[in-house]
Amino acid sequence: MERSLGRLAVLISVLALLVGACSATSSSSAPASQAAASEAASPAASGGESASPSPVITPLPNNASQAKPGDVVVRWYCCLGTGDAPEQVTVEQKVADDFNTANPGIHLQFEGFVYAAARDALSVQLGSGNGPDLVGPLGIGGANAFHGQWLDLQPLIDKNKFDMTQFPASTVHLYNAGGDGQVGIPYAVYPSVLFYKAGAFKEAGLKEPPHTWNSTYTMPDGSKVPWDWDTVRKIALMLTVDKNGKDATESGFDPDNIVQWGIEPQRDDMRQTGAYWKAGAFAAADGKTVQMPDAWVASWHWFYDAIWKDHISTTGPQFLNTDFNPGGYPFFTGKVAMSTNYLWSLYGLKDAAATFTDWNMAATPSYQGQTTAAFNADTFRILKGSKHPDETFKVLTYLLGNQDLLKLYGGMPAVESKQDAFLQGLQSDYKQQIDWNVAKQGIAFADVPNFESYTPAYNQTLDLINTFYTKWQATSGLDIDKEVADMKSQMQAIWDKGGN
Amino acid sequence: MAAPSVARPRYLPRFSGLAWRRARWGYVFIAPWIIGFLAFTAFPMVATFAFTFTNINLAQAEPLRFVGLDNYKTLLSDHQTWESLGVTLKFAALSLPVAVGLPFLVALMLHSRHLRGPGGFRVLFFLPYVVPFVAGVFIWNGMLNPDSGWVNGVLEAIGISKPPAWLEDPTWIYPGLVIMGIWGIGAGMIVYLAGLKGIPTDLYEAAKIDGAGAWASLRNITIPMISPVIFYTIVLAVVEVLQYFLVPLVLKNGTGEPGGSTLFFNLYLYKNFFTFQNMSYGATLAWLLFAITLVITLILFGTARRWVYYAGEAR
Repeated sequence: MERSLGRLAVLISVLALLVGACSATSSSSAPASQAAASEAASPAASGGESASPSPVITPLPNNASQAKPGDVVVRWYCCLGTGDAPEQVTVEQKVADDFNTANPGIHLQFEGFVYAAARDALSVQLGSGNGPDLVGPLGIGGANAFHGQWLDLQPLIDKNKFDMTQFPASTVHLYNAGGDGQVGIPYAVYPSVLFYKAGAFKEAGLKEPPHTWNSTYTMPDGSKVPWDWDTVRKIALMLTVDKNGKDATESGFDPDNIVQWGIEPQRDDMRQTGAYWKAGAFAAADGKTVQMPDAWVASWHWFYDAIWKDHISTTGPQFLNTDFNPGGYPFFTGKVAMSTNYLWSLYGLKDAAATFTDWNMAATPSYQGQTTAAFNADTFRILKGSKHPDETFKVLTYLLGNQDLLKLYGGMPAVESKQDAFLQGLQSDYKQQIDWNVAKQGIAFADVPNFESYTPAYNQTLDLINTFYTKWQATSGLDIDKEVADMKSQMQAIWDKGGN
Repeated sequence: MAAPSVARPRYLPRFSGLAWRRARWGYVFIAPWIIGFLAFTAFPMVATFAFTFTNINLAQAEPLRFVGLDNYKTLLSDHQTWESLGVTLKFAALSLPVAVGLPFLVALMLHSRHLRGPGGFRVLFFLPYVVPFVAGVFIWNGMLNPDSGWVNGVLEAIGISKPPAWLEDPTWIYPGLVIMGIWGIGAGMIVYLAGLKGIPTDLYEAAKIDGAGAWASLRNITIPMISPVIFYTIVLAVVEVLQYFLVPLVLKNGTGEPGGSTLFFNLYLYKNFFTFQNMSYGATLAWLLFAITLVITLILFGTARRWVYYAGEAR
């Protein structure tokens, strides 16, 4: 009997030890996310690391004021897109404070999370039934990661007589295309352009790329050619330079010691790489079958060759090397001649404005005679689970109309009449004259359907394509057609299985 | 005269009124912990076990329902589960000897009477432990960068023309991760050091008189006397390595790159829970991990009686 009791005691001890090790050790009085973060920061005893799945999902610090007794608290969750930089948080907090001063009875509570952890932190909050009321700014992809969670705003729009006619119909449609109603109100749009370094073109004896959309380019021999991806490849070869001053068209060019790359395509998402060639979607018309749009496959081939064959683009490890590329995109370093990117990437150019003074904007290239520029759009959304939809809608309309916030996020107003003033306001950050009209005109070439449109098993699909895309950028000698076929079959298996 | 016989309880004493009153205060004092344990650990564990028999997920497009053993069937057929478990075990095989052995060796060195200024060395070895681990990961990411990291810079300087791409090559990623883990040995070292300082010096003196050298003393005195600490360290290290998570998440953003070599089991579990928002399958994976950890830990406890020596315990 004693022996049995002893065994039982040992078993209980083992279980207690395991449970203790497997569970969070932080104070239970702290919010779950804070507890997880504090645990993440303490390495384990034996040279390992913090064990539990507890990423750095701590809220960003702010000096939020407290709600008064009786106030309706509206929780504003940030930052699934932009908004997490310390200087942004300061402004966001001030916007919340201003709202609270002007609207007694409602307390707007700003809750910011760093971008890398924001999606997981929101999952935790929603999963534990402790979701916020309002989320934003967030893009189409960020919203699709929480498909089915967003409130149809139409009843609130009708009730409050909110004027939706001030927005172009196409941007309104962007938020009611998923069958869940009007889940968003247009706010900020981010057209794509081709950023270029004028000095690099001058040095190579090349004409600058066209500022007019869907136009031609004059090659060094004087011939006029379509401004397409083939042309971009040709001039990118001339703009890629090694440490000996040889460009990528010359014999003896040293691809291991490149000091200036020809082109940096926006590479955050392989769907978007495809969207710069032609709008498309992974989901076929039936919504269940995976398809690989031909233009997207062509773009992936082009991108892969640009890295590994032509050496006109950085490899994945080079791109991620923060010594070389501290700002997130190599164009900011001044060591890249051309780069397709969104208007929101101005944040890096603004930071480099003191030293990088010869960049400008051009039209993105065409593919098979058609120009398409991947498009981003942000807004704020209300969650279905909000207990105070009326008060939250009031907050929503306040945030949508706040110009400080719009400038903070670098977003072009969705309202067309406000766009010129917005773009002129940006000019003051730069010494050189930027052709802002390129960005404004670029809206007309937005990819429709948007590359971030909903697909079945959205998050798993995203995870799959990111895995493939990361591999392509880090591994030479791959057969891209075989890779695409493999990705397609894996994606179909995920879709067939269902899930988020 | 015979001594009066006293009835003695065979196993557990029945509380008298006084004893009960005293014990009651004990229960009162531990009640907060017990309540906390039940509410915040035991109940969630039971709840997650219940989740494994449902289709619960964040979107809940379908109504919540009982799905029997469906999640366990999925588990068996999910190749990524077993691949991620393989990744974890491969890494464990490499990292455990280092995580357990290296702090011991460092502690031995710091315990040496020949060492001048052991306090300073103790601080130096412990210092990295107080650096937030995420920051440490970023620092190591820079140091192991194949192009600009100084680790490869040093290797090139000593004549290794093509040093490894530590964090980009599926073969070298595990040694790279182990090197990063070495930064956190400070706490283990302190525990070992405390154990070493607790060994009575007269044992060494007696051994010396008997002609024992340093190796014999280490083998016959130090290791047996410190075996409970070694055991404790092994158990914790096993639990931790099975839950290895943060470094691959921060380092590779959870992609599992290069080539799936950093898709550790716990990372896959995490992704199912939070990225794919599939709570029921995530819970199933969590319970699989718990079961594996429990079995390994029980095996370790089973072997303990053969090699762990408790000086205060009757054998």
